[in-house]
Amino acid sequence: MKKSLRFGTAVAIAAVASMTLASCGFGGGDGDDTASGETTLDLLVPSYSDATQGLWEDVIDGFEEANPDIDVKLEVQSWDNLESVIATKIQGGEAPDIYNGGPFAGFAADELLYPAEEVVSADTFSDFQDSFIANAEVDGTAYALPLIASARALFVNNALLEQAGVAEAPKTWDELLDAATKVSALGGGVAGYGMPLGSEEAQAEAAVWLWGGGGTFGDATEITVDDPANLPGAEQVKKMIDAGATQADPGSTDRSPLMDIFVQGKIGMQVGLPPTVGQIEEGNPDLDYSIVPIPTQDGSPMTVGVMDQLMAFQNDDDKKDAITKFLDYYYTSDVYVPWVQAEGFLPVTKSGAEALSGEEALAPFLDVLPDAQFYPSTNPAWSATDGAFKALFGQLQTKPAQDVLTEIQAQADAG
Amino acid sequence: MGHVLAALPWIGPALILIFGVVLYPAVVMFYNSTRDISQSGVDKGSAGLDNYIEVFSFPYFWPIFGRTIIWVVVVVAATVIISLGLAQILNKAFPGRRIVRLAVIIPWAASVVMTTMVVYYGLEPYFGIINKFLVDVGLVDTPEGYGWTRNPATAFAWSIVVAIFVSLPFTTYTILAGLQTVPGEVLEAAKMDGAGPVRTYWGVVLPQLRSALAVAVLINIINVFNSLPILKVMTGSIPGYDADTIMTMIFKYIQNQHKVDVASALSVVAFVIVIVIVAIYVRVVKPMKEV
Amino acid sequence: MAVTAPAFETIGPPAASARKRRYTEDQVPIGKVLLRMLAGLIVLGIFILPYTIMFFGSVKTKAQIRSVDPTYFPVEWHWENYVNMWSTPETPLVQNLISTIVISVFATLLVLLVAMPAAYYTARFQFPGRMVFLFLVIVTQMLQPAVLTSGLFRQFLAFDLIDTWAAMILINSAFNLSFAVWIMHSFFAGIPKEVDEAAQIDGANRLTVLFKISLPLVWPGIVTAIVFTFVACWNEFAASLVILSTAGNQPLSVALTKFVGQYETSWHYVFGVSIVAIVPVVILFMLIEKRLVGGLTAGSVK
Repeated sequence: MKKSLRFGTAVAIAAVASMTLASCGFGGGDGDDTASGETTLDLLVPSYSDATQGLWEDVIDGFEEANPDIDVKLEVQSWDNLESVIATKIQGGEAPDIYNGGPFAGFAADELLYPAEEVVSADTFSDFQDSFIANAEVDGTAYALPLIASARALFVNNALLEQAGVAEAPKTWDELLDAATKVSALGGGVAGYGMPLGSEEAQAEAAVWLWGGGGTFGDATEITVDDPANLPGAEQVKKMIDAGATQADPGSTDRSPLMDIFVQGKIGMQVGLPPTVGQIEEGNPDLDYSIVPIPTQDGSPMTVGVMDQLMAFQNDDDKKDAITKFLDYYYTSDVYVPWVQAEGFLPVTKSGAEALSGEEALAPFLDVLPDAQFYPSTNPAWSATDGAFKALFGQLQTKPAQDVLTEIQAQADAG
Repeated sequence: MGHVLAALPWIGPALILIFGVVLYPAVVMFYNSTRDISQSGVDKGSAGLDNYIEVFSFPYFWPIFGRTIIWVVVVVAATVIISLGLAQILNKAFPGRRIVRLAVIIPWAASVVMTTMVVYYGLEPYFGIINKFLVDVGLVDTPEGYGWTRNPATAFAWSIVVAIFVSLPFTTYTILAGLQTVPGEVLEAAKMDGAGPVRTYWGVVLPQLRSALAVAVLINIINVFNSLPILKVMTGSIPGYDADTIMTMIFKYIQNQHKVDVASALSVVAFVIVIVIVAIYVRVVKPMKEV
Repeated sequence: MAVTAPAFETIGPPAASARKRRYTEDQVPIGKVLLRMLAGLIVLGIFILPYTIMFFGSVKTKAQIRSVDPTYFPVEWHWENYVNMWSTPETPLVQNLISTIVISVFATLLVLLVAMPAAYYTARFQFPGRMVFLFLVIVTQMLQPAVLTSGLFRQFLAFDLIDTWAAMILINSAFNLSFAVWIMHSFFAGIPKEVDEAAQIDGANRLTVLFKISLPLVWPGIVTAIVFTFVACWNEFAASLVILSTAGNQPLSVALTKFVGQYETSWHYVFGVSIVAIVPVVILFMLIEKRLVGGLTAGSVK
């Protein structure tokens, strides 16, 4: 009897708790129209890591303490869901005030965004590194604020290469093919080169190869995937696959699970990025690895730079001041540097770069950054191109290179 | 007319709830299918039937359509056949039956996404337990396992397996409930007449299950046709359109290509297709016929 | 003898006279019983296999789950995952669980409240538009939720209910109404009319008849509807994702996605939370399993 009594009490407590909580959850649209003149900012961000939610909460707490009249509402979504959530909100006329995402040119083309200079102070604006701001410009006006950058580099499992008799990390495609084939030949589930062409981030691996062969995805006005300059890279991908130098089924392998395999020492070489260092530290600190520049056709230096940005949507001009206050606060060195450091990315501000210049883990990436090429993110069609790469590039495993490039171009143009 | 007014207090709340919540988004779906909506979600004006033209002129549309039909037919048919057998087992008396019955219910209680995720995880090369098992018993000869979810054909086949698995509990329980109603006297009479178990099953038990089955199949058809998460998880990393059904294609239009307008057009097409399928089913099976 | 009724309406009331099948029902030879147990064991194994993998995953560390040298059983049992997952930085899981419970419970209650009279009336009385109504109800089941979300978002924006449980309760109940009406309709239709008529002659009004006479008879059908609605609400994802933006308001199904990062996923928590989400529903099943079998009982009234 005692037992059931306790159970009953538990149920009662749970019921009371849920009713109390219900009273906060049931109320409609609180906050937006409070009489006290308080401004509410909606902030929609993707989850970079398990720390993301906490990092933003810290930023917001600090900001709200300094600005008690501004209330920041945080919404964190996984990358998988981020873009459908923002599209739904925009369709409903409820864009967030500040949004952290990738492609922004489409929003700018639809005239939804504030020019960057209008939502940060001149001091903050001039602190951005010029090359990053240039990547946020449409027709000479920056519509997005650089948030974080990353550069790619080749992660090499030293032990496996040594075991396969490869003396030095490869610098050219030929050396890479040779080294990877030898490592693959070790057997036992070991793969020479980890090639993730699956939908998760196919555009990145595509850039590694197509740009490494002298190609490009296009510029601010034109998308040029189906271009002779891109063919050598695509052909080389096929050559790697056909030679058995990669893991099985590269066309449909996503990059995150593949990196887990590299971390555990089953893959000779794979292209990684700054947060990979932290993943190895956490998952397999004993791994004997080095980070070298990405091999290219002729050995000339090249890396794929990726920049994510913050955007400010034009919802209500009354909010502009609050947005500016928030962004200025966020980009102060004291707030921004710990944030970017915790996420393991490269800083985009001059002051941030200075503060983190001594960071050993980031050094190999800061070294290659000057040679970085970026996606044509200032082209409104980039978002469609990005989708086309994700959906189609992996077909290289089974289809002729030219056909795949043609198909991607067609889907990008149709967007 | 008076009859309708008398009915209103009874069916009114249901009508309000349905019209109040479902009607508007459904209309928006139809409306969006004729609009030109930008990638960011801004309405740029009328598109006439352009979105429908894009749906039908997509070179992979007909293979995808065919795969959708295969998907529905195979999953529903296999579900029914397996459920019939399963219900027979669960209807027999044996020690521990209650536990087995509970186990059969779990896939119903669990979210479909999670069931699929865990199967996907088990099938992954390197990490997956199912792959490890197949390697250990010698069915797969690469030490890291086979890429079941990396190839369109095997990924689609496994998706069918999962879809059947998660459809079994509801169908089995419906049949099981139907079996309770087979009058004992009729069974005994059949026995007396010297009918064997097979003939009894076909002649006495199955006809009795007909109405329960008809309803279960109808619900399964609609649910399986509209099922997105299984294929989304199992075939998500595969490039191209060789493992897609209409539902995953709608999803790809939204998620990958950011074309809400074309996705809406395809949804309207899907809606018409499912109505046609249901109509054919109703015509052939006549679940509304008097018993 | 079977009462003739359209099959659409033949999921009958609890066949009160249905025979209880007991172990002693026939003299089953021991060999046959063993064979049945074996078959049952195989069924049991197949059905719990995925959830065993899930459970084992939930007590591993993040690294063990992604080990390239997987083991059938966890090497170490990290029960603390079940403690830690309630206080992760990613999502306020306690609130998510409460959200799921509140939304599911209230949506199920609302469905019952609205579907019951509709099902009763359509089963009992002929009126013009009756078939149209029943058809409308089925059609809502055929719409693909993924595409409806943008319309739902705009609608609930207009109602000023965005980011509230009330919105999700309304949405969940509207989209699950169809099945509830449908199944309850069949059950009410299965009660012989004479039962009602007798009561009415005694001077009871319709509501009294519904609550005092019909309801007790169709209780299993109501249980079935409860289970269907509850499970569907419990696992709903597409609408919650866009309607509920505050982490604390979101249900478990949305919370799960928070463990998926850009480059790494906390699989141990994903699996753990999934197990936690399954348990209450299985317990619910356990409590009403008998009624459910009765409730799904189709066919005739003898």
